[in-house]
Amino acid sequence: MIDTNQLFPFLMSGLGFGAVYAMSGTGLLVLYRTTGVLNFAFGAIGAFGASITWSAIENNWAPDWVAYLMCIAFCGAVTLGYGLYLAPRYANRDDLNKMLGTLGLALILLGFMFNLWKTEDARVFRLPTGTRRVQIEWFCNSEGKECVFDARISYTQILAVVFALVVAAGVTVYLKRTKMGTAMRAIANDREISSLLGVPVRRIEAIAWLGSGVLCGIVGLLLVDLFGSLDVVLMTWFVIPALAPVLVGRLRHLWVAFFAAFAIGVVEAELNASTWAWPSLYRKTTAYVVAIVALLWFARKRNLVISGRSTR
Amino acid sequence: MTAVADDPRTTAVEQGRTAAGSPTLLGKRSIAKMGVAAAALAIGLFLLPAITSTFWVKNLTSAAILAIVAGATGMLYGRVGLVALGQMALYGLSTWITLRLSFATDLPFPALVLIAAVITTIFGVILGLPALRLSGIYLSLITLMSAAGFLVILSEAKFPNGGPGFKGLVQEVTNRSEMRRPDIAIGDFAYYRYVVIAMVLTYLLALIHVVGKPGRAWASIKQSEAAALAAGINTTTYKLWAWALASFMTGIAGGLLAGHVKSPSVFPFIVEQNIILIAVVVMGGVVSLWGGIISGLLAAVLPELFQKIGVSDRWSLILFGVGLTVNLLITSHQLDKAGIRE
Repeated sequence: MIDTNQLFPFLMSGLGFGAVYAMSGTGLLVLYRTTGVLNFAFGAIGAFGASITWSAIENNWAPDWVAYLMCIAFCGAVTLGYGLYLAPRYANRDDLNKMLGTLGLALILLGFMFNLWKTEDARVFRLPTGTRRVQIEWFCNSEGKECVFDARISYTQILAVVFALVVAAGVTVYLKRTKMGTAMRAIANDREISSLLGVPVRRIEAIAWLGSGVLCGIVGLLLVDLFGSLDVVLMTWFVIPALAPVLVGRLRHLWVAFFAAFAIGVVEAELNASTWAWPSLYRKTTAYVVAIVALLWFARKRNLVISGRSTR
Repeated sequence: MTAVADDPRTTAVEQGRTAAGSPTLLGKRSIAKMGVAAAALAIGLFLLPAITSTFWVKNLTSAAILAIVAGATGMLYGRVGLVALGQMALYGLSTWITLRLSFATDLPFPALVLIAAVITTIFGVILGLPALRLSGIYLSLITLMSAAGFLVILSEAKFPNGGPGFKGLVQEVTNRSEMRRPDIAIGDFAYYRYVVIAMVLTYLLALIHVVGKPGRAWASIKQSEAAALAAGINTTTYKLWAWALASFMTGIAGGLLAGHVKSPSVFPFIVEQNIILIAVVVMGGVVSLWGGIISGLLAAVLPELFQKIGVSDRWSLILFGVGLTVNLLITSHQLDKAGIRE
């Protein structure tokens, strides 16, 4: 039923994707808590930024590291621009309309990507960490030929896990220990009262947008490396499974979402180890099934019937 | 239709009285609307096929089919305040069922479509019953997640092509069967008229509900679910009713699509199409059922129109995105009413 030799390699692979889910989730959750916007354009912005990086590398516009920075800068700028100019127009609207607004941005960016790049062609670029791999061989027999834990993982996978952990820990400390973080939590509780108390709402929201945008750029770069190619459609709608752990965390609990992200990533990857065909074929439904079950579980006492700020 | 129901100053009770009262339905305005609808139907049925080519008739057929899905989505959004982002999954499910039944049985085409629509409705209700405990953003997310999950399954299962077994798949190209059409609508022009009439019938079904008791209950729920509950309206039943009706309409559309494209691919049902659907529904307007027809035309005809004039059809995506954003910003009062209030 399960190919035990494959469990460990798939675990490593799953941790890499789980880390990307975790980073995306952190960006989405913090932004939602601060501004009430569930940013569905997260994936599209990241894909656009990664496409710029691909063009920069392919056409030798700049050294590779500058190209990577271009992606992060673009994602930060677009997200901040949306946060500064369009998001305030939705400020007094319910969360649903705010979310639909970001869907509009996702469609616009996707349309531009289709028009600016030949998206049908395979586009590939690797991060420096993607080409280097490390061999893990733990609990080997005396000859060293057979190991209980045997896998070859890329430095990108390690980087993703470490970075996800650093981001989640950093955000937690930032929210709990800094003045800005306290202000963010105040806005998350009540935007209008925070404003009346003198909290610079627009500035705090701008910081949240910028931070989310930077994360979006990093996730975009990591995804290209982990997927092995730049597929703008796949990356644009990657935001949907990435929302699953955020929903498990009730759009509120960062660390619940963080661990749920890793759990989803690992389960999704481990289903590949099954000797039956169907778990592997339908493994991509994992995130959706988890999200649906979580939503229905939380709704059993009808505590999610009222959308918007009351549940935040 | 019930123009009064769209006035926020009108209470739910007043809306009910006015909608139920015959003067509104048979007033001069209503008669004028019916005249316009009849004229539009005559143009759609006879004039358009006469002046256009097969290419455009095929696109108009797609538009009429999509108009049914858009009408269902718009009805849920504009009348009940439920934003469903997974309607394309039900659309795909119905197409799959119609194809499978067509290859497995000798049932006439209308029976195939109706059975597929009923099964789709049952699936919709099974999904909707627990999901309707949610509302607002959570309902949208659960429907989107369901659609994304369904797409994964559909991508693996693929559409039946006349083969044996549950999946109905056959690998050899020569052995593939073709989905049949109704005897009275074998050709593309005749099938177009068939689809338009089916669209009108589904819209009439929706209209009967909108102007009747369910419509008044939906209007109350949209204004305030708590107030509707306090007024003694069984909100769960009426929301589920709307959900079932929308699923049925979408099921009809799926069946008609099977007859239109005969061997469909997964593309019309991808996640992106759900987002495009909600964008065109908002652009077409969620308050009137006419919005559904505009939405269908936007989604099906506009990309082809772009290609005809030498512009990439991908620009339509940008247009839909801009249209969605602008509509959300401009028509705030209407859409805020459509969403669940805080």
